[in-house]
Amino acid sequence: MAQQANHALPAGFQLDDYRIERQLSLGGFSIVYLARDGAGKSVAIKEYLPNSLALRGEGAIQPVISSEHLAAFRYGMKCFFEEGRALARLSHPNVIRVLNFFRANDTVYMVMEYEHGRTLQEFIQKNRQAVTENFLRNVFTKMLNGLREVHSHKLLHLDLKPSNIYMRNDYTPVLIDFGAARQTLASDTPMLKPMYTPGFASPEHYAQRELLGPWSDIYSVGASMYACLAGAAPQAADTRMEKDQLMPAMVRWEGQYSDQLLETIDWCLCLNHLYRPQSVFALQKALTEQVSAPQQREERWLDKTFGKFLSRFKKIGNR
Amino acid sequence: MKFTIYQESRPGKRPNNEDRLAYCYSREALLMIVADGMGGHYYGEVAAQIAVQTLIETFQREAKPEIADPFLFLQKSMSNAHHAILDFSSDHRLNDSPRTTCVACLIQDNIAYWAHTGDSRLYLLRDGRVHFHTRDHSRVQLLMDQGVINAAQAAVHPERNKIYSCLGGPQQPEIEFSRKTPLEAGDVVALCTDGVWGVLPEEMLATALKSANLIQAVPMLLAQAELRGGPHADNLSIVAARWEDSYVEHPSTAISTQTMSRDTITTKLDEFGRNPAYKSELSEDEIERAIEEIRATIQKYSK
Repeated sequence: MAQQANHALPAGFQLDDYRIERQLSLGGFSIVYLARDGAGKSVAIKEYLPNSLALRGEGAIQPVISSEHLAAFRYGMKCFFEEGRALARLSHPNVIRVLNFFRANDTVYMVMEYEHGRTLQEFIQKNRQAVTENFLRNVFTKMLNGLREVHSHKLLHLDLKPSNIYMRNDYTPVLIDFGAARQTLASDTPMLKPMYTPGFASPEHYAQRELLGPWSDIYSVGASMYACLAGAAPQAADTRMEKDQLMPAMVRWEGQYSDQLLETIDWCLCLNHLYRPQSVFALQKALTEQVSAPQQREERWLDKTFGKFLSRFKKIGNR
Repeated sequence: MKFTIYQESRPGKRPNNEDRLAYCYSREALLMIVADGMGGHYYGEVAAQIAVQTLIETFQREAKPEIADPFLFLQKSMSNAHHAILDFSSDHRLNDSPRTTCVACLIQDNIAYWAHTGDSRLYLLRDGRVHFHTRDHSRVQLLMDQGVINAAQAAVHPERNKIYSCLGGPQQPEIEFSRKTPLEAGDVVALCTDGVWGVLPEEMLATALKSANLIQAVPMLLAQAELRGGPHADNLSIVAARWEDSYVEHPSTAISTQTMSRDTITTKLDEFGRNPAYKSELSEDEIERAIEEIRATIQKYSK
């Protein structure tokens, strides 16, 4: 049976101090609205409404939560609180800001700043030719400022991907959707069901969650950069662990981007977490390094690939 | 840790006492040492002093409050003591370097670790009997092991004082290590020189130290030994500790009520019906509190 989609709150609906304008997005776990606060300022409001547990019919306001689903619904609410807790502590230009949190209609809502722009995912789908070396270095270096702030609060994002990186119209990135974020040091936090996106989640996400660390978010950053170049997510880490068929960025785009950038992407995508950059700072340092423009070489394909591997080995040896 | 401890050393009928002994303890670890400086060698007491001091200083430096690796600690500090004695002897241009036996025991987490070289002994006494004692690094012990002589012959053997391993000698000392030995409440660990064990039957040692009051028992035992040593009684030294705790597999799960105030009662009674630990459901109250907490955090961090 097809999953029945929830109906959004109608335009003009007065929700607490906010007036709903329209629905921005609909996910399996929540609905995001564009709304205006009492002062007329635009905000984004995220409504906790898991599809499978709470149903809102057309024209209805209160969702129907059957008694058998109530426990699970409340349990999922814990995740939503986690996200709120994580974001509330962060105040940084590259991290979405939470403005308010309230309860209504038998569920909970998180009010966030509204930004004009689109997700990096939408951007790269429509502007493939805009993904230049400078664009990548610029966007990711700034986005990493936000991630650094997240890590400095002992939080991990754990669901980094192009559709969770929002681009303002001036091309500055903002980290959004902290639905998977976890406080890494709070051991008393109940183990919530892992959330991740195949292709962007690190190998630790799947198997050894006790190994999750900044390097896990860094894997996702590498996968996001790879996806910007490829236009699609890279091979998922769990299948890579069985048979690694991911073509290194170094081989796939050689000559089109600088070796140093491509190497940095491959560095982030190492399956062994110890071989990746261990901190956001280390990665930022690599991304801001001055490099010479890529040069198209005239060698034959095999020589080229071979030479590439040799130079990589030398560099790894030096690291 | 809970224990009683007492140490005493007497010169016997000798002009000077070349035995040295010491104990020291932190919140989590206890160290006991006995060293018998070699008679017939120059500066025997200096060698014994260096050995005891080296171990004590290492303990003071490394017990924080536990020793990270007890066997490594014993091995390292005894070997350092050996080299310190050699250094002393070369600094003073001695023809023959001074030597000493050494036995040391470290107790932490109710586990005893010991090491020895020479013929000073460690006894582990349990239930009024000798549960274990170290094997001397001596000629007579080797002869006994080979079945050439028996214990009675060994006790009067002319070469019974000859040992083949010690600290400060020209050869690298042979240091023998114990196993990790869990202690039980009431166990007595006694370290002594041959002036004590050489003249006392071991049953006597075990019976005497069975008494809970070591402060009375040890001097009485030494008086006995001195008497039995006769007109040429050797230096006699003993340090003995009665351990009052028992080794348990997971000491951290044990409850100590020592620090509870007098009017406190701790109760653990599961809720009727479901075990609350499995309750994943948020109560109304918890939801309200979570929202309050998030709002407060937003306030706190908004500029």
